[in-house]
Amino acid sequence: MSGRLAGKRAVITGGSRGIGRAVVERFLEEGASVVTCGRGARPADLPDAVGYRSLSIADPQQVADLAAWALDRLGGVDVLMNNAGIQLEKRLTESSDEDWDSLMGVNAKGVFVCCRAFIPIMAADGGGSIVNVGSTSALVADGTLALYNASKAFVHGLTRSIAADHGAEGIRCNAIAPGWIMTEMADSAFDLAQDPGAAKRDALRRHPVGRFGEGRDIAAMALWLASDESAFASGQIYVVDGGLLSVSPLQPGFF
Amino acid sequence: MPSLSSKVAVVTGGRGGIGQAICARFAREGARVFAADLGQGSAPLPEGVTFQTLDVTDEASVAGLGAAVEAEAGKLDILVNAAGIAIEKTVEETSLADWNKIFAVNVTGTFLVSKIGLPLLRKAGGGSIVNFGSYDGFIADPGLAAYCATKGAVHALTRAMACDHGPQGIRVNAVCPGFIDTPMLQSFFRDAGNIESLKQQVRDIHPMRRYGTPDDVAGLVAWLASDEAVYASGQLWVLDGGLTAQVQQMRL
Repeated sequence: MSGRLAGKRAVITGGSRGIGRAVVERFLEEGASVVTCGRGARPADLPDAVGYRSLSIADPQQVADLAAWALDRLGGVDVLMNNAGIQLEKRLTESSDEDWDSLMGVNAKGVFVCCRAFIPIMAADGGGSIVNVGSTSALVADGTLALYNASKAFVHGLTRSIAADHGAEGIRCNAIAPGWIMTEMADSAFDLAQDPGAAKRDALRRHPVGRFGEGRDIAAMALWLASDESAFASGQIYVVDGGLLSVSPLQPGFF
Repeated sequence: MPSLSSKVAVVTGGRGGIGQAICARFAREGARVFAADLGQGSAPLPEGVTFQTLDVTDEASVAGLGAAVEAEAGKLDILVNAAGIAIEKTVEETSLADWNKIFAVNVTGTFLVSKIGLPLLRKAGGGSIVNFGSYDGFIADPGLAAYCATKGAVHALTRAMACDHGPQGIRVNAVCPGFIDTPMLQSFFRDAGNIESLKQQVRDIHPMRRYGTPDDVAGLVAWLASDEAVYASGQLWVLDGGLTAQVQQMRL
């Protein structure tokens, strides 16, 4: 089998749709054996070669079962991509305790329990690469996404801790911070605007590359981080945002 | 499949430690490569790599590079501004001549070569510029004052160019290496006393327990240069084996 991930065994959480699905398909194309999971039933159009488990990522027992199942099915794990995430369009004062539990459960605890379950498996086999999905929202705040922004800052902090603590076991850990990626999640954010069309046009002009991102843009970075090409990359937050954050937010030329 | 088929690339500092690795990698990926540097050096040129004499601080020399690329290839897809020097001095020890020299190479050189390269990149319908920043542009190494300042300037220039030339299809990023095993690093070890103990100390402060290689850097540059990275622009890509993710602390 050729491909840049030939022989690699990868677990990608949240691979049913969106960014995770683009990563699953790209990794498969590049020769990896892939296992993924999601909240719902196995998507009908998921390629047959991909192993799928339906589970709640915040449940340590279900994640431990996923790890055992993945180890049995793949024979080891070289790459863990913590992609599963949810978004909540609320300011802090509107956020309930239940909101906290569900959002932090997936975005923060889910990453924690997955890393805890998979690091020993990876270390036992000489190490591997953990790719977390952070966000530009953890670097600069997106409005009305209070808990989401904070949950992604947790991911960035944990990424550095894992890199520092488990580097000597051969484990690299990095995060990708996507900007505006056109998924169902991003569309629902535009729907909050008074004039969604105008909001979208404005957002587009703030991207030097002239478009929003797509799942495949993130999959391309994930592929590099999963491969041995990135053997010296660890502890970093790699922003893939079409240039959005490199440009000042104040652009009088727009008005 | 090679990721840079039919691409034309210029690598300044192309005969230095990291530059050579980038040129060799680009050539393996199918690109036509111009390795531009002050001198050709003794190492053989890989197939697909042409040497071009270049002083990045001299506008006429840079114009000559642009004319040569235009005449021989008619366009440019990838520009890597890898030419750079270090001066191991504090501000008080640095003469004005030292300061001007390091800014001339690391900053003015990046400016001049980009200025000549941009029209050629537009001729290709867009492309990728990869500048050389450093983790020293974020946090300082002692005794490298002017060097740290030049790298901070390159970081800001990278964002500015990404902003101005993104609409023309040109992506601009910087790679920010940590400790890479090059002649520059070896000379740093040599100047600092007990080489073996220092090398071990440097390894031990890296979570990955090694320093980087020129090939590690070439791997990231090749990704940023390729169409894989079409949504990556305006960023500073630190590659340091985890060094700056970890707070340096007392050994207990």
